[in-house]
Amino acid sequence: MTSQIQLRNIEKHYGAYHALRDISLDIPEGAFVALVGPSGCGKSTLLRTIAGLEGISSGEMIIGDQDVTKLAPRERDLAMVFQSYALYPHMTVRRNLSYAMRLKRRPKAEIAEAVDQIAKITGLSELLDRYPRELSGGQRQRVAMGRAIIRQPRAFLFDEPLSNLDAALRVHMRSEIRQLHNRIGATSVYVTHDQIEAMTMADTVVVMRAGLIEQVGAPLDLYDRPANKFVAGFIGSPAMNFVDGRISGDGGSVELDLAGAPSLALARPATPGQRVSVGLRPEHLEVGAQGNSLTLPVALVERTGASSYVLTDTPSKILVCTAGRVGDDVGQIIVSIAPENIHLFDAETGIALR
Amino acid sequence: MLVFKNTFRDGVGFDAILVTLALGYLVLFSAFPLVYNLVMSFQEVDLFSLASFDRPFVGLDNYEDVLTRTEASSIFFNTVKFVGISVVAQLVVGFALAMFFQLDFPLNTWLRGLFLAGWIMPALVVGAVWSWIFAGDFGVLNYMLQALGITDAKIFWLSNPDVALYSVIIANIWLGVPFNMILLSVGLAGIPEDVYEAAQLDGASRIQRFFTITLPMMRAQLGAVISLGVIFTLQQFDLFAALTQGGPANSSNVFQYWSWQLSFQYYEIGVGSVISVLMILFVVFVAAIYVRSTRHEQVM
Repeated sequence: MTSQIQLRNIEKHYGAYHALRDISLDIPEGAFVALVGPSGCGKSTLLRTIAGLEGISSGEMIIGDQDVTKLAPRERDLAMVFQSYALYPHMTVRRNLSYAMRLKRRPKAEIAEAVDQIAKITGLSELLDRYPRELSGGQRQRVAMGRAIIRQPRAFLFDEPLSNLDAALRVHMRSEIRQLHNRIGATSVYVTHDQIEAMTMADTVVVMRAGLIEQVGAPLDLYDRPANKFVAGFIGSPAMNFVDGRISGDGGSVELDLAGAPSLALARPATPGQRVSVGLRPEHLEVGAQGNSLTLPVALVERTGASSYVLTDTPSKILVCTAGRVGDDVGQIIVSIAPENIHLFDAETGIALR
Repeated sequence: MLVFKNTFRDGVGFDAILVTLALGYLVLFSAFPLVYNLVMSFQEVDLFSLASFDRPFVGLDNYEDVLTRTEASSIFFNTVKFVGISVVAQLVVGFALAMFFQLDFPLNTWLRGLFLAGWIMPALVVGAVWSWIFAGDFGVLNYMLQALGITDAKIFWLSNPDVALYSVIIANIWLGVPFNMILLSVGLAGIPEDVYEAAQLDGASRIQRFFTITLPMMRAQLGAVISLGVIFTLQQFDLFAALTQGGPANSSNVFQYWSWQLSFQYYEIGVGSVISVLMILFVVFVAAIYVRSTRHEQVM
C-alpha cells in the first residue's frame, strides 16, 4: 500500500547558508518517523524538501521505486499537515476535504462517500458545512488531518501540527494522531521541536542539529544510548546534567570536578586519565547513600507533590528529580547513582564513550 | 458660547460638534446640490431663470426631450463601451501586473512605485500627454506603428470618428491600471503562502490554483475594484476635455461629458440635469453592490 522514502546525500544551500548537510535516511514502509531538534536545525527544511516545496542543491530522493528528486510537489503523491493548518478559508469543511478529489474529477458519488467516511474517522460529521473560521483550533487540526487522509497518499508529512494548540489539547491530539497512524499504517514523517512529542509518538526518532543528523534510533535507544552529548542533553526531560571530570588512574572510576573531588565507580573501565563530561540524568539520581554516592549543597527545592526537584549549589548546577519528598531546611543532599546509568562523553568532541 | 467654552475646557459636547461639522459639510456640499440637481431636472431652466428658485415646473418634459434626441442613443452606447471596455481592460491588466509584482525580482518595489506615477498625475495632464502621443502627423504612436510596419497610413486617432472613442478608452485604461494593480496587490499579498503549498500537495496545477484559490479568495477585492472602476470611469471628464471634447460629431461623446456640454456650453441646464440624475441613480446602484461586496469580506 505505502512505500518507503529514501534520502541519499541531500544537500541544501540558501546562498551561503548550508541548511542541510549530507542527509541520508531510510524510512521504512509504515514507519512513524519524528524529525526533532532545536529551531533552525533544518528539520522543517528537510520535510519541505521531501514534499518538494523546496528544491535541493544535490542528492537523491526516492519514494517507493520512483526517483522524485526533480518532481513537483503535486506529482509526488504525498500529503502534508501544516503548522498553520493551511485550510482553504473560502471552502467549507466538506469542500476542504474533497478538494484533491475534485481536482482529479472523481465521480460525485465516490467523493461524497469518501468525505462521509473521513468525516466519521476524524469526528467532523457535524461540521461539514462550516467554514474554517467557524471552527476551534482542534477542529481545524482535524480538518487538516482529514484532508491528508482522504487522499490515501504514499506518505504523510507533518510540520509541527500541534504547536498551535493549547497544552491539554496537544496531549489529546498526540494520542489521536498516533492511533490514526496505527489504524491506517501509512508512512509518516513528523517534524517537532518537542522531544516529548517525538519520543511518545514515533517508532524512530531522528535528532538533527545545524543541518546534520546527529542520531537515528528508537526513542528508548536514544534515551539509553545517546551517541553524543547533544543528543543526551536534548532527549529526556528534565535534561541530563553534565559535570566535567577525569577518569581515574585505574580506569575503573571517574573523579568529578566538584568540591572534594568525589569519585563514581564505572560499570565498564575507561581510558585512564581521560578528560570527560559526565552525564547524570536527574531521574537516575536517587536520594540516599547506596554505593556510588555524592554529597551536594542544595540551592533550591521545588515540590510538585508527586516528585521533588532539587537544584544544587555547584559550579555547574545539578538537578535531582526524586519521587520522594525532600525536607524544607536541607543544607545538603546525598544522592547516589547506579554505575550503568552514568554516561561518559569525550570532553573535546562530545562523543559518547562506550 | 458657553458650549464652546465647556468644550475647550472639559471636552463636553465635543462629539456633537464633530458630528455637526461633518453633517453640515455633507448637507451643504453633497445633499443640497444633489437635491437641487434633481429639482432642476423637472424645471425649465435657462440663462434668465438661473438666478431664481421660482421656475416653471415641466414634469417629465426634460426627460422626454433628452432621451428622444437623435444623438442620445449613440452617446448611451458610447458610455456603455467606454465603461465596459475600460473596466474590463483595467481589471485584466491590473490583475496581471499585480500577480507579476508578487514575484520576487530585483527592483520590484521600485518598478511598482513607478507605475503609480500615472495615477498621481492630474487626468488633464495625462490627457495632454496622450494628445501628443495620439497626434496624427507627429504623434509617437503613429511613428511607432509605422516603424514596426504594423500600419502603412497614419491613423488619425482623435479626429477619425471610428477610432476617437477608443483613443480615449486607451488613455483611460492607462490611467486606471495602477489603481487596480495596487488594490489587487494588497488582496494577493493577503493570501497565505501555505494555502498555495497545501493546494500544490493536493495536486493543483498552476492554473487550477489560480481558479480554485486565487480567484475565489480575491472575490471581495475584485468586487471592490470593479464597482470603484465603474464609478471612477463614469466620473472621467478630464480626458474627454483634453483629447476629443466628445467629437468629432459626438462619436466619442459620453453621458458625463454630454451633461456638462448641455448645461454649461448650450445652457440647457434642465436637460443637462436629467442626465446627471440618471447617472446618479446608476452610480448609487453600483455603490450598493460595492458596499455589499466589502461587507462580506471573509476574515480568517
